[in-house]
Amino acid sequence: MTDFVQNCIDGLMFGSGYALLALGFTLVFGVMKRLNLSFGPSIMLGAYAGTWVYLNISDNAWLVALATVIATIAVGIYVERLCFRAIRHDATIASMVSSFAIWMQLEEVAMHLLPERTYPFPAFFTTTTIEFGPFYARSEHITMLLLTLLLLVLLHVFLFRTRPGLALRSVSDNPLASAYMGINNSNILFLAFALVSVLGGLAGFLILSADTQVTPYFGLWATFKGLIAMMLGGMGSLPGAILGGLLLGIVEANAFWYGGPVIRDLSAYLLLFVMLIVRPGGLIGQKIVAEQRAADERV
Amino acid sequence: MLKVENIVTRYGAIEALKGMSLDAQHGEVTCLLGPNGAGKTTTMFTIAGILSPHSGSITLDGNDLTHQSAPAIVRKGISLVPENRLVFPEMSVADNLAAGAYCRSRSERTAINQDLAEVFDRFPQLKERREQLGGTLSGGEQQMLAIGRALMARPKILMMDEPSLGLAPLIVDEIFKIIQQLNQEGVTILLVEQNARMALKVAHKLYLLEQGAVTFEGSPTEMQQNELIQRAYLGAGAD
Repeated sequence: MTDFVQNCIDGLMFGSGYALLALGFTLVFGVMKRLNLSFGPSIMLGAYAGTWVYLNISDNAWLVALATVIATIAVGIYVERLCFRAIRHDATIASMVSSFAIWMQLEEVAMHLLPERTYPFPAFFTTTTIEFGPFYARSEHITMLLLTLLLLVLLHVFLFRTRPGLALRSVSDNPLASAYMGINNSNILFLAFALVSVLGGLAGFLILSADTQVTPYFGLWATFKGLIAMMLGGMGSLPGAILGGLLLGIVEANAFWYGGPVIRDLSAYLLLFVMLIVRPGGLIGQKIVAEQRAADERV
Repeated sequence: MLKVENIVTRYGAIEALKGMSLDAQHGEVTCLLGPNGAGKTTTMFTIAGILSPHSGSITLDGNDLTHQSAPAIVRKGISLVPENRLVFPEMSVADNLAAGAYCRSRSERTAINQDLAEVFDRFPQLKERREQLGGTLSGGEQQMLAIGRALMARPKILMMDEPSLGLAPLIVDEIFKIIQQLNQEGVTILLVEQNARMALKVAHKLYLLEQGAVTFEGSPTEMQQNELIQRAYLGAGAD
């Protein structure tokens, strides 16, 4: 029992990283109704920029974080221009496929430009173990969990208490009507993409400084974990993304403890499989889907 | 007030408007009638800046609006109640109305709040349901929300695209009462309707649009006296 609880605590910590990634995916999906598969690889390139600053310029944590975020935004803008703005609004599959192509492209760029491939990523959080009763947690993981919750609150305030947030929700809810209100849809979508890139950059920075190294495979890893966490929680739902990420973390931590690394990776897919059968809309998405269906029938 | 002169609007190679003109007078209800595919909605879209005309001109109180962007046109004082209402289904009633005032600057905050109170006075049902999601309202309430949302931009001219579409007859009567009331309060209205009987009741001036051009214009009495129109659009002999 002690083991199980400890695993759940560890899982919450890992899960907060997944939750941050899922937030990025779910924002793009919620606002644009499209999947951005190259989200993970954009973060990976951003992280290399952070590492470069760390190795060549300064070991200041804020500078490295800033470099990671800015480079992620730059790659994010590149992806937005090619996969989203350049493609017609209703061609959702086309933009998903092109974001897959950009994923491959970004990964190849990383493989060719970076001869050593694996680079150290600075561990900025001093690892101290915090004990409470029979359980313990690493301080950097607690920081990550708290930051994730803080970002969720900030995002909520942005979306529901500010003017750009109102515009963003309008565009996502009914792009035609928002155009009639005089909202410039493509500017707002650009803003959403920039916001998502900031989230992604922060997620990458936090996860990698706990991992202390970055490889070109980080992009694949981040896309998979983020997508699974988003689908578990319910696509397009912000609290769903957080719940999905934490649930994935907890299941993986237990699977790892009781079954080893192979079982851990398997458990993520198994969890998704079960969720898609039992609640295809995810933990939170289901309700929204059902409400929409009821409203459609009434109209 | 709003003057549309000889506009030609194309969808690719298809010419939807072939030299359409209309003139909406201040304080009046101007109505566009016509069969499906005549170009009524296209006219609205062209005025609102959603579509750009190939040639011709659109002016509001002498200001040229012809190739302005949609946000600029909303700011100049034209707002649209779209066909099928198009409320924001997953946003609250209050947020739907706030989105209607999106184009107004922050300095107008007091005026915006005042307009919000006015909309709630006009439509008490919306006030009761201010936290409810737009998609959960009935058809008539959604139409009121769409009208309220357009009023939140404090327009000089309100364009309404088929406000009676898909509503029960009783609700249609109510919507037309609202239109008349708005007009009596001094709101200039450009109305697109298929419901000719209702249109004749509220309009000061009517335009009949067929295949992208105006084929008749005149007052409701002139229109009712025209035998051809009687037969084609009003079902002469029915009553």
